[in-house]
This record gives sequence, structure tokens and C-alpha cells, in this order.
Amino acid sequence: MIKNSAFLIITILLILCIIFALTTGQYHIKLDTLWKVVSLKLSGKTPSDDLATPSMVLWSVRMPRVLMAVLAGAALSVGGVVFQGIMRNPLVSPSFLGVNHGAIFGASLSIIFFSKSAFSIEGFAFFWAIAAVALVYVIGNRGVNTITTLVIAGVIVSTFFMAAGSFLKYIADPYEELPAIVYWTMGGLNNILWANVRRALVIIGIGITVIYTFRWRLNLMAIGDEEAMSMGVNVNRSRIVYMLFATLIVAAGSSSCGIIMWVDLIVAHISRMVVGSDHDVLIPFAAILGAAFLLFTDTIVRILPGGEIPISIITSFMGAPLLGYLLMKQNNEWKG
Amino acid sequence: MTTQNNDILAVEHIDFRYREKQILKDITFSVSPGDICGLLGPNGSGKTTLLKCLNRILSNENGMIRIKGLDLSKLTRREIAGLIAVVPQELDIMFPFTVFQMVLMGGNVRFGFSGIPGRNDISDAMEVLDELDIGPLANRRYNHLSGGEKQMVLIARALFQKAEIILLDEPISHLDFKRQYTIMELIKKITADKNLTTIITLHDPNIAGRYCNRLIMLNDGCIVHEGLRNNIFHAESLAAIYDMRIKIEYTDTGTEYVLPHHIQ
Repeated sequence: MIKNSAFLIITILLILCIIFALTTGQYHIKLDTLWKVVSLKLSGKTPSDDLATPSMVLWSVRMPRVLMAVLAGAALSVGGVVFQGIMRNPLVSPSFLGVNHGAIFGASLSIIFFSKSAFSIEGFAFFWAIAAVALVYVIGNRGVNTITTLVIAGVIVSTFFMAAGSFLKYIADPYEELPAIVYWTMGGLNNILWANVRRALVIIGIGITVIYTFRWRLNLMAIGDEEAMSMGVNVNRSRIVYMLFATLIVAAGSSSCGIIMWVDLIVAHISRMVVGSDHDVLIPFAAILGAAFLLFTDTIVRILPGGEIPISIITSFMGAPLLGYLLMKQNNEWKG
Repeated sequence: MTTQNNDILAVEHIDFRYREKQILKDITFSVSPGDICGLLGPNGSGKTTLLKCLNRILSNENGMIRIKGLDLSKLTRREIAGLIAVVPQELDIMFPFTVFQMVLMGGNVRFGFSGIPGRNDISDAMEVLDELDIGPLANRRYNHLSGGEKQMVLIARALFQKAEIILLDEPISHLDFKRQYTIMELIKKITADKNLTTIITLHDPNIAGRYCNRLIMLNDGCIVHEGLRNNIFHAESLAAIYDMRIKIEYTDTGTEYVLPHHIQ
């Protein structure tokens, strides 16, 4: 009953965030205008002259950005839940396993040596994010009871890619390339196009579908390797599947939006507090909450006076104190 | 020592080595259906390692383990879980799963490709909880339970796994005096009622002597004595595994109890 109410509340919250995000910005769109523009689009009609501007703003700028925020928020949050579950550690997030530093390295490579086009940066970031996690798995996998070695391997690989990324920044042209790298690193959805949304939709859609299909077995993985094995789970194979698809969705989000800090960790934590640890409920809840959280944050970023600032600054400012507050309030809940 | 065709579990000349250290040496024994088989031995004698080999969490070197005549090394993880359930020594978990969720996990082998329980599975799991009189705990968080309650939940989970063999790793070692006997009585009852075979590692020879019909006595990775309880449960055999002088005394009703020799 409590869980149903929680789902209802965050679903309404997400819908309100979407309406807020679509109507708010430098060009304000009234609610009735929004309704008209959406109705015209759905019925396939061309908007009249007075609706041409709001229609253009909505379909060319705001809608892809809103959809991308929803997709990336859901992907980062589900990725966080999955990594915490298979690592049995509520402090683990995809960034611990090198996803972020791999993506930064890839984006920097593209900006300095190949192309500054969004497509190229996105492709490089995606590839190197996955390569970093693959490297973590190769170094850290020790079969049963491998969690500690995987986390240590994550630290090693992250440090290595951080050093490589710093080196690329050091040799980058300080007037064009370096600012581009730094800005990408801080994350943002200001350059999102429909092409980004389509690519992210395919990867994140497939990834979340696969993870949700096998959601229940994540419960067993979250208990312990030997426990899961004694109940019939092929732990090594399952870990590869979960890590692969969680990495894919997080990399798809990060490569399009840059590095967005804290969303994975904070949303996974709050979701566990509200609906518990059963992944049957936890995964969809985290997806909806993550989508609402990132969309709300992105909208705040857009409407702040003085122009748009990188989104990670806001997610970190909101996430760190909120997590600290929740940790103090919950009295070691995770340890039982 | 020989194994017979009607044995549900037969272990033939297995060794296990961890790095340079030989943990198990030439282990051979068999267990018949319905047995409560106790593994006795001092700390470090290889009891838990042997249990992990029986469940193939660890892979033995040499020799063979047969479950119902099937070579354990050729079975998939799922097939093994269909035959053997495990109750661990003490399980603390990081995330706050409820008692019901914990028990439901035991049915994983029957949940199909995606591993999602059906409606019948949910009602079956609830029945198992009620059967062990822990139904009222269903929505409590597992980590908030006492040691005895946790052990009951883990036994319920093993029952819901519906395997014919249950391995229990020191299930009473951290329980108080009363709970030790409550859990052992429960194990005895479910073994008989559900036609199970139980293999259990124990520290207390008094408990082992009271509840097990078959004993395997280990020391330094080797079987020192093995067989029916009534044939091998005596002061000399226990002295050999614990490396101390032991005496067995009798109460007025004829119940045996094991004591170190110097205790009056």
C-alpha cells in the first residue's frame, strides 16, 4: 500500500516535472499553448503562425532535452541500483568502476585528436566508458567472493584513466580544446538533439528492459556470492550480464550529457529507503525517481539567473548534503 | 570404506588444497537417505571446506562426489541447487530484505528463465513460514531478527528450495542454550517429516551424539572415524579428534554426556 502510494506520488511528480520543464525557460510557453502544440503534432497538422514559435521551441529544443533528461536520469539511477546490488555495497556507483573517467578520457581523445563533433565525442566517450569497466572486470574478477577485488580494480582503473585524462588536458590547446573538455566533464544537456535521444532511447531502452527482466535474481546477487550459488545462480555469468547492461545504459547517458555526478548514488539510496531492497520494485521506482530528479535539476539549471551552468554543479550541491542528511537520519539502516 | 548404490550422497577419495595447504585429504564416506549426519572436529579440521565441496562452492581435486548417483562435477549450478540446499552459519546481509523475500529466494531454481516467482510460489513460501511458526515475521526485516529467528528463516528458505539434501554449517554455534535445542529439534523433525537427508557441522559432541544417527569425525583434514553414531561415539574416538582426554558419563536416565576428562 505504501509502495503503491510512493509510485503514484513519484509518477505524478515526474509528470509535473515534464510539464514544468516543457513550459519553463527563457521562452515561456503557457499551458494551453503547450496543449495546443502537442495536439497539433499528434494530429499531424501544421501549426498556425501564432503557434509557430512555441512549436519550434518545443519540438526542436525543449522536447529532445526533456526526453534526454528523463532517459539519462533513469539510466544513471538504474545503473546505480544494479552496481550497488551486485557489489553488495550502498556506496558503490558506476563511477567507482571507471565509467566516468573512461568517458572523460574518450571525450578528451576525440576533442584533441579526432573531432569536436557531438557524434564523435559521444562515440568515444561511450566506447572508453565500457572499455574501462571491461578492464575492471578483467583485473578484478576472481570468481566467487570477488567484490573487494572488483572495487579495488575500479579504483586502479579510475586512477589510471584520471591520470590519462589529466595528461590529455595538459597537452590540449588551452584556448579551444581544454575549455571544451572541461565543459563536457561538468555535464550538460544544452546540446541535445533528436539524434542523441534516438540513440540513447535504443541503448537505454534495451538495457533497462534486460535488467528489469532479470530483476528478481539481483536480489540473490545482493545477498552474497555463495548464497546465490547455493540457490542455483551462475554468479559469474549473471555478474557479467548485469555489469554489461548497467554499463551500457550509464555510458549511453554519460556520453550524451557529459558527466553528471551524484544522480546514481543519491537516487539509489532514496529509492531503497522508500521501497526497500526488492529489485522487483526498486528498479522501476529508481528509474522514475531518477528521471524526475535529473529533469528537475536540468530545468533549474536552465532558468537560473545569469545563464545556464553545468548540471553536475547543481546535482552535487543538492546530492551531497541530502545524502549526508539521510545517512544521519537513518541510524545505520543498511547494516540492520 | 565403501559406498553403496542406495546412498544419496557418496564421496570417494576427494582432496582439496588451498594454495600450498592441503585442507582435505582422501575423504571417503557415504550418507543414506534420511540420515542426520554430523561432521565433528576441532576448528580448522576441514568441516566447512568439506561442506563447500559437497555443494561445489569449492571444487575438489581428485576423487568424485556423487549425488543420487550423479557426478556432482558434471551438474550445473541450477541442478545442484535442485538437489542440495544450504543453511549458512550466520548470514548478515547489507540490504534490508524482509523475511518473506529471503524465504522466497529459496525457490529460485523453479522460477524459470527470468527467475520471477509466480503466485503459487508466493503462497507456497508463506505456507513454509507458517509451517515453522514464523509467519508473523514475514514482513519484518531479516537483519532486525535475533540469531535464532534468523536461523529459522534460513531453514525455511532451505525447505522452500525443496532439495532432498540440506547442508547446515554450524547452525547453532552462536545461539543461546535454549535456541540450540529448539533449532536441533526442528532439524530432526523436518528431516523425518519431509524425508530429507541432513549433513550438519557441529562443535558440541553432546548435541551431535543426541541428534545425529551418523557421524564423520575429522582432524587435520582427514577422516579419523566415520560410521553409524552407535558404533563410533565413544571417548576414545572423540579424544582422537579433539586431541584431549575425554570421558563420557551417564545421567540417571541413561543419557550420555561428554566431558573433558579433568572436569569432575
